[in-house]
Amino acid sequence: MSTPASPVSIELKDIVQEYPNKDGTGVLRVVDGISLTLQPGINMLLGPSGCGKSTILHMMGGVRPIGVQTPTSGTVLIDGQPCVEAHDDAVMVFQRYANRPDLTVEENVAFPFRLRHWRSRVNDAEARRRVDETLAAVGLTGHRKHLPSQLSGGQNQRVALARALVLRPRILLMDEPFGALDAQTRGEMQQLLVQIYEQNPCLVVFVTHDVTEALALGDRVIVLSTQPAKIADDFAILEPRPRSVIWQRSTEAVRMEERILAQLHAASAGRASLRVSV
Amino acid sequence: MAEPTTWNPYAPLSAQTTRTLGIGAVVAVLVLWAVISGSGLVSPNKLPAPWQVAKAFAYLAWDGENQRSLLFTATVWSLGRVLAAGALVVAIGIPIGVIMGASPRVNAALSPLIDPFRSAPVVALLPIMVMWFGIGEWMKVLFLFVGAVVYLIPMVRDAVRAVPQAYWISARDLGATPFEAVRHAVLPLAMPRIADAVIVGVSVMWTYITVAEYVNAREGLGQLIQNARRFSAMDQVFAGIIVIIAFALLSYQLMRYLKAKMYPWETKL
Repeated sequence: MSTPASPVSIELKDIVQEYPNKDGTGVLRVVDGISLTLQPGINMLLGPSGCGKSTILHMMGGVRPIGVQTPTSGTVLIDGQPCVEAHDDAVMVFQRYANRPDLTVEENVAFPFRLRHWRSRVNDAEARRRVDETLAAVGLTGHRKHLPSQLSGGQNQRVALARALVLRPRILLMDEPFGALDAQTRGEMQQLLVQIYEQNPCLVVFVTHDVTEALALGDRVIVLSTQPAKIADDFAILEPRPRSVIWQRSTEAVRMEERILAQLHAASAGRASLRVSV
Repeated sequence: MAEPTTWNPYAPLSAQTTRTLGIGAVVAVLVLWAVISGSGLVSPNKLPAPWQVAKAFAYLAWDGENQRSLLFTATVWSLGRVLAAGALVVAIGIPIGVIMGASPRVNAALSPLIDPFRSAPVVALLPIMVMWFGIGEWMKVLFLFVGAVVYLIPMVRDAVRAVPQAYWISARDLGATPFEAVRHAVLPLAMPRIADAVIVGVSVMWTYITVAEYVNAREGLGQLIQNARRFSAMDQVFAGIIVIIAFALLSYQLMRYLKAKMYPWETKL
């Protein structure tokens, strides 16, 4: 896959997000003044469930919830340009794959090319070439004629990942993509993501509530507190990937884990629901 | 060895047992019916004996004296009306339902006009339909259409709304226009439940066919029953009803089969 023409950046400036209360008597602030600049690399957005990290990710994807202004205040800039709608450079991958059950694996991966937006930009031959290439990259070449119902959860997530990669995005926004997978499959998918990233370094924003996952994948870990979300911690991990089990049990890694957990507990006493997976 | 027979609603039943119980129940009713008729307790004018119904059925199927099959003609007419109304229901009801499902605004505007008719007596509309559309074929087809479409539209709407929002968001994120997101991401997933709506719609039409043919029908299963009742030919009334039930069942099974062929990927709950 080709390398991006220029390094891409995402800049969040004083992002505040509020939702009206259910009883209509006020507002609930879920994101409280987050400012952040993201550079190419794997950026982990770590926080307890329901802390607003998905909301932030959706803002970067330009996907807007219904009936609420997003963000309430602040701006999201991609390459210095305000991001207000779905963006060609940023593609999202969700936990619930969103694969069409009536289409085969290759048809699902080629799905974006059914849309006028991409049909006018990518010709048929190029689309076919990209689909083949991407299927190979995620290891699904042998399953191209299968239906999603014939695949495992991990394979379905590979399809979803391939559907994003086929567009050659410079930004990959992943919303707890491996959260529904069993531990072993999650490990395999993490490996795959690293492999794909090494081949085509881009800007990955990876939302998770799994501390172990954050430490296994991240070049940078941004820890969010909950309700409202604020940046509780933000640090880099220099250890090269793939990170061995030995590193993960090293004093360095264990300290990082303790640091994250302490931050989370301090920031959100009693509310946190975090997972430390094996 | 006898299997433990504790009552368990989730225990699967073998095909053999299902068939035996089903056929057994039908046979039991037939036997009971025969016994009641044979005992002479109930007048044949009220309850004709099974063999009388069978004889009536044979007569309706082929009337050798006049070289005609009343049943065949009647069935063709009724089937034709159901098919014509069915085509209208599909062509008009599905698009309206899809638009209602895809647009909360349209839904808010149309659902008070459509939803109440699900529980309202559609049969009561028959006099109005006669006034508006006369007593010809149009009235009968439109009556079936109205009877079925008020069930179908809300079901189609709900089918569209039941598709998880994730599909919409994902398609929009990939650059789909709202129309494309509905067309390529939401609608394909709603199709199995839309097919269910069509199946219900057609079943409803079979229940209304007799009513539709109450007024000025020269041919049709409803008319056949109506006519037989007028001449107190209860055996023919029974035969006609059985034919309608058989056709309703047949078309239901056929549509179920087609649906399973068309949407094999539908997730089983």
